Amino acid sequence: MDIFVDSAGPLLAALGTTVVMAVVAGIGSLIVGTLIAAARISPIPVLRGAAFAYVQFFVNVPLLVLLILAVFALPDAGILMPLAPTTVVVLTLYEAAYVAEAIRSGVNTVGNGQIEASRALGFTLGQTLSLVVLPQSLRAAVQPIGNVMIALTMNTALAAAVGVVELTSAANKLNLVEAQPILIFTAAGLVYMLLALIIGLSAGRIERKVAIVR
Amino acid sequence: MRVSRSPLRRAIPVAAVALTAMLGLAACSGGDAAVPGADPTASSAASSLDEVYKNAVVAEAADILPDSTMAKIKERGKLIVGEALDAPLLSQQDPSNPDDVEGFDADLAKLLAIYILGEPNVEIIPPASETREALLQNGTVDVVFNTYTITEERAAQVSFAGPYLESGLAVAVKSDNDDIKGIEDLAGKTVIVGANTPAVTAVPEEQPTATLVSFATDPQAMQALKQGRGDAYVQDFTLLASNAASDDSIKVVGQPFTTEAYGIGLKHDDDDFKTFINDWLVKIQEDGTWAKVWDATLGAAVESETPDAPKIGSVPGS
Repeated sequence: MDIFVDSAGPLLAALGTTVVMAVVAGIGSLIVGTLIAAARISPIPVLRGAAFAYVQFFVNVPLLVLLILAVFALPDAGILMPLAPTTVVVLTLYEAAYVAEAIRSGVNTVGNGQIEASRALGFTLGQTLSLVVLPQSLRAAVQPIGNVMIALTMNTALAAAVGVVELTSAANKLNLVEAQPILIFTAAGLVYMLLALIIGLSAGRIERKVAIVR
Repeated sequence: MRVSRSPLRRAIPVAAVALTAMLGLAACSGGDAAVPGADPTASSAASSLDEVYKNAVVAEAADILPDSTMAKIKERGKLIVGEALDAPLLSQQDPSNPDDVEGFDADLAKLLAIYILGEPNVEIIPPASETREALLQNGTVDVVFNTYTITEERAAQVSFAGPYLESGLAVAVKSDNDDIKGIEDLAGKTVIVGANTPAVTAVPEEQPTATLVSFATDPQAMQALKQGRGDAYVQDFTLLASNAASDDSIKVVGQPFTTEAYGIGLKHDDDDFKTFINDWLVKIQEDGTWAKVWDATLGAAVESETPDAPKIGSVPGS
């Protein structure tokens, strides 16, 4: 256990990077994902098509490919961002596609009658979406969104491949010196498990709080 | 019409079945992570090494002790080696011909297989740098040829035969950079290193104020250097020299500032096998095989004399 105590500083800093990336990308993907979901269920064909294309693109291209493209191809196009922000942007855009799909599944729980009623009351499209459909969809999709957030947290490990010093990369570095892969990566795995557990339990609590009793 | 079906319509299902079978076969051969039986004649560097393979030394029956690791390998009929498939000059797989793996490590692994088995029958399991100890400890591979730097911490987990190769870390910069002349100019700079390479620990020892950025592969690190994500790239001298030889936009500055002794990783405390491999290393050094393999692989990239082979057991941990 000494090896973890001796390098506690860098390991905690790396864990901090993992958590910050997960939180920022998580919030970002919730916002972008909600907008995409709204576009996907809107009656405007262009918006619907664009949102469909967005979701298909990000669901069908592996995250590692997107990360490597963003880190190594964008500079050739004249955009050179630091590594961690690049990773957070890519994670946000990628997970937003999954968030959008999770919300869309929640939309089905909103009855057609409610939408018709809101129209009869003279609500505009924006009002119908923001006051009637999305609040209920989000409440119904808490658990699936929690799963997307857990996946997002695990996906931050891929940032190690493009040079961001987060938990996996710090574990790699420690192992390079100590040569004890099973101990070190088991410990790293337990920390990821703990993060997933926290997200999962929080999602459960939030769901019970916001659930709509029908 | 119904009775006489056109030949084409009958041919389609047949063709479909044949195509499926072919795809299935291709998937089988492609999906196998291990690369079987590397054929030395298929290698393009083989022309210069044909002679070496033909005259390669084979162990005497008395050297293969009963119940030893080498006896088990001989019984199995192939040597299972942990070596990279993406290391230029050391162990590089030809993407268009997966059986063709060439480089210094790959050729030595084949020669070791010849020494034990009489034929270059090697199964390659590519290790990640972070899994080498585990692969050796649980017996997945017999030996690791993977620019495996001998350190005392690692020697507590695995055993090392050799060293079989010595190299050092050097500094590369963009060609238009005249400010950095070597490791001594890297204080406070951003330095690109390969993840899981000795540079990760060696650079902070020399320059504690340098910021490290690590990338998974050498091409990624090269790209990052050229795009300005760091001021310099610290990597094995031989690898940098070969990069600089093929790419004018970077140059190697200064002399190597460390000495890395690479060993052949073995299961811990297998002393018979370690002695056996060390004997083999001495034999190939004395008969000139080692120098010929070096010339054909690493020597092709750098303009320098063939170095002397390192002395067996010359570093702590070996």
